[in-house]
Amino acid sequence: MSDSTFFQGLDAETTICAHCGFCRAVCPTYAGVGWESCSPRGRVHLTQLMLSGTPVSSEQMTRLFQCTVCSACTQVCPTRIDLRQFWLAARAEATRRNLAPPGLGLAQANVANTGNVYGYPNDERAGWAEYMDDAPADLYQRETAEVLYFVGCSTAFSPRVQPIAESLVRLMSAAEVDFTILGGDEVCCGFPLQVAGMPDRFHDVVESNLAQVRAREASTIVFNCPACRLMWQEEYARHLPGVRMLHATELLAELSAAGRLPLNELNQTVTYHDPCDLARNGGVYEAPRQLLAAIPGLKLIESHERRERGMCCGGGGDMEMVDPALSQRVATTTVDKLAATGAGTIITACPQCVRTLSRGAERSAPGVAVLDIVELLARALT
Amino acid sequence: MPIFDLPPDRMTEDLVERTMYARDLAPVPEIMTRSFFQTLPDAIVRPANATQVADVIRQAASLQLPVTPRAAGSTSYYNAVPVRGGLVLDVNSLRYDISLDTARQTVRVLPGTTWFELDDTLRRQGAAVRSYPSSAIAATVGGWVSTQGHGIGSLQYGAIADQLVSLQVVLPTGELRELTRNSDPPLSWFVAAEGTLGVITTVELGVRPRPAAESHHLFSFDDLDALGTGVQSLSHSQPRPYTVFFADAGYLALLERAGFHAPGARRQEAGGPPPASRLLSPASYPAGMLMVSFQGEPAAVNQGRDGLARLPGRELPSELALEEWSLRLYHLRNKRGGPSLLATDIWLPLRNLAAYLAGVRKLAVRSRQQIGSYGLAITPEWGQVMSIYPTDERRTAAYLAAIGFTKRLHDLGAHYGGRPYGVGLWNTPYLSRLFSRTDLRELRRRKALLDPHGIMNPGKLYAAPFPLWPVTFAPAATALSLAHTTFLRGERRSP
Repeated sequence: MSDSTFFQGLDAETTICAHCGFCRAVCPTYAGVGWESCSPRGRVHLTQLMLSGTPVSSEQMTRLFQCTVCSACTQVCPTRIDLRQFWLAARAEATRRNLAPPGLGLAQANVANTGNVYGYPNDERAGWAEYMDDAPADLYQRETAEVLYFVGCSTAFSPRVQPIAESLVRLMSAAEVDFTILGGDEVCCGFPLQVAGMPDRFHDVVESNLAQVRAREASTIVFNCPACRLMWQEEYARHLPGVRMLHATELLAELSAAGRLPLNELNQTVTYHDPCDLARNGGVYEAPRQLLAAIPGLKLIESHERRERGMCCGGGGDMEMVDPALSQRVATTTVDKLAATGAGTIITACPQCVRTLSRGAERSAPGVAVLDIVELLARALT
Repeated sequence: MPIFDLPPDRMTEDLVERTMYARDLAPVPEIMTRSFFQTLPDAIVRPANATQVADVIRQAASLQLPVTPRAAGSTSYYNAVPVRGGLVLDVNSLRYDISLDTARQTVRVLPGTTWFELDDTLRRQGAAVRSYPSSAIAATVGGWVSTQGHGIGSLQYGAIADQLVSLQVVLPTGELRELTRNSDPPLSWFVAAEGTLGVITTVELGVRPRPAAESHHLFSFDDLDALGTGVQSLSHSQPRPYTVFFADAGYLALLERAGFHAPGARRQEAGGPPPASRLLSPASYPAGMLMVSFQGEPAAVNQGRDGLARLPGRELPSELALEEWSLRLYHLRNKRGGPSLLATDIWLPLRNLAAYLAGVRKLAVRSRQQIGSYGLAITPEWGQVMSIYPTDERRTAAYLAAIGFTKRLHDLGAHYGGRPYGVGLWNTPYLSRLFSRTDLRELRRRKALLDPHGIMNPGKLYAAPFPLWPVTFAPAATALSLAHTTFLRGERRSP
């Protein structure tokens, strides 16, 4: 199918939508719910009702937010609607009409009040570095650096994925990368607000982060969170001409190709889960696979559902805030498919995927481990 | 609405949810639906298995409540949209359970599985479906059995009716039955019955070995007669092609109107949309194109490919052929140029293909309506031809008139020996074209025998309900069509 996609506004695209149901067949949340209203074409229909002024309740409009914005629908849409853009615009319109789920308001309040989506004291953003035995005295916070590592809220605060940050700074240190983190000067990138339909609420965080990046004079920004990277590419990049915005796998693949990442043998069998925001939404398919291939002894068994057809972990698009049970159902389905490869470890490249898939594995595949690729690479570090 | 013996999450009366089951691909103005029909179901049920389907049907039968089975809802004649309210029975939870019998080359599968999913699973086990609809990503196995079941691969392997081994169905009494070709009733009664005789709960059908080789070829033609001759000769050729797809210049023009590349277009702009004058001028395009695919054993595929040397027309580069093959399920991309699209889908004798396409071209010029046609050879003698035209459903009056224009195309198809493909609700005015009196009498006898209270998908297939009686429909559609062409002529004249 053609790579070209289009978004000419909600009114045009709700009319262009053929209601053919191609999207429904691949939608992970439709599979988890089963009602037409929870299919992409159902959400388009809901949007059409909302735009036409048909009375719809916020409870009914919740369907619009029971979506991980994974873009599996865009992949198969025959009328080539950029459904990611569609969902963001539709959510913004729903929010404008006070039809958004109430839980999302808390996320917005947290970001506004504390600078992070969890509502924790933002000064503790580099807490993970304090736990490290071998962290330097500056806890990786330097005045200027070539590379700025934007840690993101999940990795900074969620204990399950804080080791990703530890692993990435160890890898960059081993490769002698001149890098810094922002510590308490970093605030939420705004992605949770973007997917919550609050495009007018992330202006302040964008400005704040931009000022910090400029002050550090970095020429490359690296993210271990694909959603942060996507947000920066869409909302920040135009303000930072010439600055590269890379996912950790892209930077590490460059370092590996340059011979700056010596890796030990790891005799284990893994499968790889493509995160939606890195792969379908972000276009990065090869870098993680190049890195896995660079680990001596590692055996990769690819799942049938990979690359453009990769399954969603269930954690994107603020789904955990809107419907955590559905998020888990999606995660469990995906873990089942990945575990069916026979691999003992699921590797992915996204903190949110690690969190949701880990919980899914606890339920449906207790013997299967879930790791971020950065954690795996750090284990292989010479 | 009575409470059915279903878990709470398997039934809903939510108004917004119900509106989603009150439509299919074709957006139809309310004046044509709610004025005459109760398209909004009273409730939706979503049984998880055949036993639950049987329970629901049994209860519905006791209450004489209409039941409209629905899978993907990917047709456009309201085949799966209720016209007398009642229940919509969503069968999509009956999905997967794919069991391949390699020795017999058959597969059992639940009806809500899509053709894409079935084929994808089979290919991992060394098999493949024999044929599939051009909406295979959405269309379900049960849904295609319930409609006409001709599509990609039918030329080589026949219609779905020829491939069926057995069906498990729930009859309108709630009885769960296994049907074969020789059972009473036979499974053939349920093919193309559009859910009017019961609900299919399992399908067993023949499969083929995963093709060891395949080859795709694309040709352009400077005149429609050559295209027609090419399609006819390929449809009769041996080895039989897996599929033969054809399209006319209008289809290619619509592709470019929608912002996509039209294979074989004479002038390729460096970028940006093509000028409007070009879109309205089929002269910028070849008269038609044809894609032929061979699949199977390498020797047979090679033999088929070698036979193409005799085909009139100009062969286009192989990468274009491969791209066209990869887009075989995406003809709806034309809708982007609409934003709405209306269509007629007809069976047509292939010997009249060129004449029909020429007739469409004349009609397009005369009415100033851009029309594109495309289709498949589905037997050596017959093709399935879709003629599509862009419109805009947001302009209700103009759209309503545009709907009337479908009758012009149906009449043109009938002139060349064609008949509508599928019935549902909207094609009931054409029942006399679809069936002989004897055939229709037999269909009605089956309906009366199996569903005496008429609870299964009432208002479809067997008789045209008012206002679709031919005596009311024909003049109304003709008047609307006239209004449409008058409007178009006026629009083209205005600066």
